[in-house]
Amino acid sequence: MRVEYINPFVEAAFNVLKEVLTSEVKRGELYLKSSTQPVMGVAALVGLAGNVEGRVLFDMSMDTALAIASDMNGEKLEKMDDLAKATITELANMITAQAVTKLHELGFTFDLTPPAIFTGENMEVTDSEVEALIVPMELSYGKVEINVAVRERV
Amino acid sequence: MDKMSSVNEVINTAEKEVKNIVDFKMVTFSLAGKDYSVDIMKVKEISNANKFTFVPNSLPFVKGVYNLRGDIISIIDLRIMFNLPATEVADKSLENLIILRLDDYQLGVLVDSIDKVVGINSASIQPPHPIFGDINIKFIQGVVEHDERLYVILDVEKIFGQDEEFEMIPPPQENVPAFGTKSPFGRTAPTAGESGNLDYSFIIENLKTFKKFTVSDINREWFDRRFAEWTKLKGNKTEELQLKSESDAELFLSGFFSLATGRFWDDTMLTSFEKILPDFGKNTVSVWNPGCGNGYEPYSAAAVLFKKYTGASIKIWASDNDLLSISNAPNLVFKRESVPEILVKYTTESTTGLQFNQILKDVILFEYHDAMHPNPFMEVDIIIARDLLSFLNANDQARLVKEFEDKLRPGGLLIIGNNERIDSGRFKYIGNQYITGYIHE
Repeated sequence: MRVEYINPFVEAAFNVLKEVLTSEVKRGELYLKSSTQPVMGVAALVGLAGNVEGRVLFDMSMDTALAIASDMNGEKLEKMDDLAKATITELANMITAQAVTKLHELGFTFDLTPPAIFTGENMEVTDSEVEALIVPMELSYGKVEINVAVRERV
Repeated sequence: MDKMSSVNEVINTAEKEVKNIVDFKMVTFSLAGKDYSVDIMKVKEISNANKFTFVPNSLPFVKGVYNLRGDIISIIDLRIMFNLPATEVADKSLENLIILRLDDYQLGVLVDSIDKVVGINSASIQPPHPIFGDINIKFIQGVVEHDERLYVILDVEKIFGQDEEFEMIPPPQENVPAFGTKSPFGRTAPTAGESGNLDYSFIIENLKTFKKFTVSDINREWFDRRFAEWTKLKGNKTEELQLKSESDAELFLSGFFSLATGRFWDDTMLTSFEKILPDFGKNTVSVWNPGCGNGYEPYSAAAVLFKKYTGASIKIWASDNDLLSISNAPNLVFKRESVPEILVKYTTESTTGLQFNQILKDVILFEYHDAMHPNPFMEVDIIIARDLLSFLNANDQARLVKEFEDKLRPGGLLIIGNNERIDSGRFKYIGNQYITGYIHE
């Protein structure tokens, strides 16, 4: 992944999470992954197009997702209902949008697709031909992994 | 109006006539449900047979040998060779066999079913398209449509050609490359005697543990030399010889790294590089530079490429899997004294210090990327990968060399570390003491 893209995503994730959550936010070590990866339980996906092609995936366990949604709504949510899903979707949108805005300032033009959310057990995500940058974020509710797979259009 | 249409008709018939002249006949057959064909001039006969005599220790796609009226020919199963699903044939039923006549020998190939002989015009053969998945494109002579069926014409000379025989298609189960995976313990050390042998393997192990350095045929020449030197330096005592820590391993490897690692190339390096650059005779030059570190290497190379290929559009994909090094590469800041003359004109003063200007920056795309992951780009003209292979495990080394073969255009240039060597029939050495280069043949 192009070096210039890395920081905007890391910063946006950190800033947004810090702003909307009451939890501590800690950034983990970044790394690259190819091949199939398991998804923890709730995955919000935002597609990217423009100078690049790819997608950003926000991956967390069901409990973490519920805790985040509860925190953001200021009320305890018991199950992954429409409100909880909409909240996670919105979080994904906020982070990606902020990253894309930063990238725009650097001269890279991206378009976003509306986020989609997937929930379920034993899910996997496979990108053939694109390796993903994993940005792990440690919250007191658990771990959120931001999985960015973009590549230059050749 | 009438005149017009009659002229058109004449043209159309003329065209049709050209298309109808049959000057190429081919035998068509099917493999895994798809249609293939071979030039009929290569086919001696068609036959049905079974019960081939098994030959021990042969490659998996060699079914055995067969007695064809007194001539012993080998039988190849094309489905296994191309990793296609082979249909199991009941024990006693006959298999379809095409007997090929190549330059100086005959060969039998097994296929699913043999169809018929089709005559076409050779002008209607179209070149193979890179999207064909099942069979390596090198083995395809072309594609042709006939009677609403699409036939892939196989180039049997290339597939079974003498010098490259089988070497290009590793058998599916066998993941053992021709080099690199030999167990280091199986080798006899240069120093005689039991303890010497043990020290030799210990050091190999230690280098792997501390620095992920894999001793293989790629760097064996250097390693043997360094080991002899090390033994001389440390005396012959095992406890002295062994590498106990990372710093010991670093010391052992100190002479390994290529010239100008982690800094700009000096003038001798730059001239040596320029000297071995081939003339591509086109106006685009693409370079892949895996393991570029801080970026000194691609910047240095870019300046030389600008000079050598004036006016050409140059593109360098530089990548490294070390996040810290690569993050600094796009905005590398340096001192005036450290820059070689050739690069000076591409520098510009910025608030943080001396940097490269946009002309040079636009040529290089820095990516945080692991070369062992899929490399999603087409063929390149030059690959620069100094001191990269040695720090991969033996399997990955073989995989990456294969990747280099696939990604480098024929006639392209591969640069590896000063103390690295590739022993492959497909790369011809053209380096010198400052640079190790190979031309892809």
